[in-house]
Amino acid sequence: MGQASTELYEKIKAAATEKITALKQKPVVLVGMATCGKAAGAEKVREAFKKEIESHGLEAQVIDVGCMGHCYAEPLAIIAKPGHTPLCYGYVDEELAKRLVIDFLVNDDPCYEFAMVALETNDVFPTFSDFPRGVYEQKMILEHCGFIDPEDIDHYIDKDGYAALAKILTLEPEEVLEEVKSANLRGRGGAGFPAGTKWEACRKQKEPVKYVICNGDEGDPGAFMDRSILESNPHQVIEGLIISAYAIGATEGYFYIRAEYPQAIRTIRTALEQAREKGFLGKSILGSDFDFEIKVFQGSGAFVCGEGSALVSSMEGKMGIPRPRPPRLTTSGFRGKPTVVNNVKTFCYVPLIMKNGADWFKSTGTPGSPGTAVFTLVGKITNSGLVEVPMGTTLRQLIYDVGEGIPDEKEFKAVQIGGPSGGCLPESALDVPIDFDSLEEAGAMMGSGGLVVLNEDDCMVGIARYFLEFVQKESCGKCTFCRLGTKHMLEILNDITQGKEKDLASLDLLRELAEDIKAGSLCNLGKTAPNPVLTTLRYFWDEYIVHITEGRCPALMCKDLIVYYIAPELCSKLCNVCVGSCPTEAIYTREDGLKAIDQEKCVKCDNCLKTCPPQYNAVIKLSPPEMLKEKEGGSAK
Amino acid sequence: MSKKITLTIDGREITAPEGEKLLWVALDNDIYIPNLCAVKEIDPPQASCRLCFVEVEGYREPVTACNLAVTEGMVVKTRSPAVDRLVKTAFELLLSDHRLKCSECPKNRSCELQKIAKERRLKLRLTRFRPLVKDLPIDDSPDTFAFDPTRCVLCGRCVWEDHEVAGVGAIGFSRRGIDRRVTTFGDTSLADSPCIECGFCVEVCPVGALSFKE
Amino acid sequence: MQQLLEGEKELIIEKVGEILGKHGSDRENLIPILQEVQDSLGYLPGLSMEIIAEAMDIPSVDVFGLTTFYNQFRLNPPGKHQIKICMGTACYMVGGRIALESFERHLKIGEGETTSDRKYSLETVACVGCCAIAPVVVVNEDIEGKVTPTRVDGLMLAFEADEQEEEQKEAEENEEKGD
Repeated sequence: MGQASTELYEKIKAAATEKITALKQKPVVLVGMATCGKAAGAEKVREAFKKEIESHGLEAQVIDVGCMGHCYAEPLAIIAKPGHTPLCYGYVDEELAKRLVIDFLVNDDPCYEFAMVALETNDVFPTFSDFPRGVYEQKMILEHCGFIDPEDIDHYIDKDGYAALAKILTLEPEEVLEEVKSANLRGRGGAGFPAGTKWEACRKQKEPVKYVICNGDEGDPGAFMDRSILESNPHQVIEGLIISAYAIGATEGYFYIRAEYPQAIRTIRTALEQAREKGFLGKSILGSDFDFEIKVFQGSGAFVCGEGSALVSSMEGKMGIPRPRPPRLTTSGFRGKPTVVNNVKTFCYVPLIMKNGADWFKSTGTPGSPGTAVFTLVGKITNSGLVEVPMGTTLRQLIYDVGEGIPDEKEFKAVQIGGPSGGCLPESALDVPIDFDSLEEAGAMMGSGGLVVLNEDDCMVGIARYFLEFVQKESCGKCTFCRLGTKHMLEILNDITQGKEKDLASLDLLRELAEDIKAGSLCNLGKTAPNPVLTTLRYFWDEYIVHITEGRCPALMCKDLIVYYIAPELCSKLCNVCVGSCPTEAIYTREDGLKAIDQEKCVKCDNCLKTCPPQYNAVIKLSPPEMLKEKEGGSAK
Repeated sequence: MSKKITLTIDGREITAPEGEKLLWVALDNDIYIPNLCAVKEIDPPQASCRLCFVEVEGYREPVTACNLAVTEGMVVKTRSPAVDRLVKTAFELLLSDHRLKCSECPKNRSCELQKIAKERRLKLRLTRFRPLVKDLPIDDSPDTFAFDPTRCVLCGRCVWEDHEVAGVGAIGFSRRGIDRRVTTFGDTSLADSPCIECGFCVEVCPVGALSFKE
Repeated sequence: MQQLLEGEKELIIEKVGEILGKHGSDRENLIPILQEVQDSLGYLPGLSMEIIAEAMDIPSVDVFGLTTFYNQFRLNPPGKHQIKICMGTACYMVGGRIALESFERHLKIGEGETTSDRKYSLETVACVGCCAIAPVVVVNEDIEGKVTPTRVDGLMLAFEADEQEEEQKEAEENEEKGD
């Protein structure tokens, strides 16, 4: 009877392929419409394409797709015209959309001057693999993101989607479990706990009712890969969730998605409905005797709910407050039943592992951390976006080759990895290979994959303070160390960045407190909260010292330790730009026609510095503020 | 009757029912371990005050005794430099958010914080931390007792009594993080809440947050 | 908690009743119910929490605890225009705070507050996941990228223009009605 599932699947697949093949007979325009694309104006671009296509009476389809990962170049559009290599265009605006329709779709000029990359190998235009980024990048779970219609299940099926599900239904659950265990798939939520071990622990429980939950409560500030995957390729996550349920023996599954991601919630809801229609969900999936349902739970904005026991508590209609372990969730989780909670990305690998085998998975990455790592590369980096590289790639390769380094000829200072639970690593740590264990040794953490690049303009004390403020705000407040300890740490950091702390002993207290919070907190949010402070103390000690002893912020970032100043020798009488740019009318014209700042009125918004034309660059920041007297005294003479 | 096991606490051999939480085994045998939030009936334990740290052989770091089930042959030490350091910090953190002035407190001499200070030789004043005590008014609207939130240590015992023992539902936790507090619906006075003044919550308060009027 | 306006009480009872009827009064549905009530009324009036607590047979203080715990819930009516400033790492690094301060200056309110005419409310959010175009501000449902103080000026001007247009329209409509 097991064979029935594959036969049924083949029929579904054949229908999908027929539909997609028919679609490809005509020109297709794919517009990146994930949240990031929309934010960059993709909706207007899509409308421009549609309008122009209609006005020319063309038979071309415009399809919304998710995120390709090249967020820096949004809005993005792909044009696939029969007889031509599919091309991807970046920075598309309404004008370019119109032009592409006329030049490429109506006529046959692909406008290579605007193309970013070709999607298939050809003789004319480079593909992704011809760029340095393409050399390092190896897409496993992001492969289809941005290239398929997330709202239409047939696009995923055409890419062999749900084939793994059809296959595993012919296997015993234990065989599926063994494959995942043998692949050594480690949880992508941050800690890297082996998924197979977790599943097995849950499967072993005698209780017949079990739950499996997909944790989409991505809360790390600066991380958005889960959102992107949910919006771009929802079915792969769903397929992974169904397969895991089969292996575990779970009866019901949940998506827990944070409220800040409305589009991801909508996309997953639509996808679930379509999966149900095709028979991948519900009663006797693909004709087998396996029943499984998935529901969506919308989080309500609490970072701590990313912690498994808090997540479960919030699903039960309570405050999202972690409870002590043991018992583990696999023993007593949602409704007190055995529960597996895994990250979005973890589930995403499952269909691939089941389709291609554990050995295929292990052939990428390092022995201890097989597979790939997905990162959001943001901050002071040329090519921001979503990247997927094999585990073991070094941070240097990731930042300089994949991300193409630091823009504006600025100097690299640090990379913040792992969000509020992670740490800041300096230049000297850039050759650390990216894998769960190496990063932890360096004092950081894989976290869920947010990677923020910092340059010379970023103050490390300020960064540490930022993350502390974040966890302090997001602490659930249950346990003493996290509730009060992080608050005291924040107070100390506030004083340092505001120039109020003059005693170096405060740094000892900061460190002691950090160590105690790490050892004494109830949950992992608290236990990891001090990491950004501990790593900056370790790698950027000097910056702390200078703040305290000199009242100076070397990166010129701490607002209370800097003043804005217009250098008369650089300023021009002929220019008035800064005066208009100032929101508080703090800039005035001196008798000699040059400009100056009334410090009483200045709110340090940085606008004048940004608007001052590059031929003058007359607005400068001074730290410590006392330098102003020196400067003004000097210029008066 | 559940199976009996034998464990060692501070060199003393003790027999206890298997699975019982270490904190209760110790307290029942007159071995003091500091605690504020422990209530035997709450399962899983709250484990929120972070005062009941002990060393257990086989564990790299100190663990809280309230949520550790005793097992055969377990070897426990209630004191060690690492334990003392954590307990001291947790205690001082709690004090930083607690209105001191013991002489003016109704619970003076019967306060659990004072007991911990005495047992562990800790100071009842702030040395390392600055005070974080919030500016919240005392609610003396009930006829028989008063609630001073600035003395509350958020142990949750009163909420347990109110909800589970008295079955009233007048008070509960609200907010998050540093703002977490015990309060009524809409922060009204207790007199305007469903409170029936049964006094259960007052009896369990380990500090001077809830106290009977003279 | 907010004083109710005339007719508001009836509306709350009706809406909450509808939503409770749809979800049932299981404790697990508490958060989805609160989310839907807030979607429908714009905020969670005290009365709505009391009705829900009663239907679920749980202490109302527990519902209050929950709604004050989660960021998403609002116990006061929001402004007509909701401005949310992203405070994710990437945004913070390149001027999220500056954007917040610009709005604060314009609206003369602080983070988490609503203007007295209930036209604007100002909030911060922890990362909306658009880090590539930081700093980001979410205005009502729209995401604005690379927000500088100058852009804040522009946004505020646009709001004011919209307001004026609406007022004018209203006035015209009233005139027509008068005819």
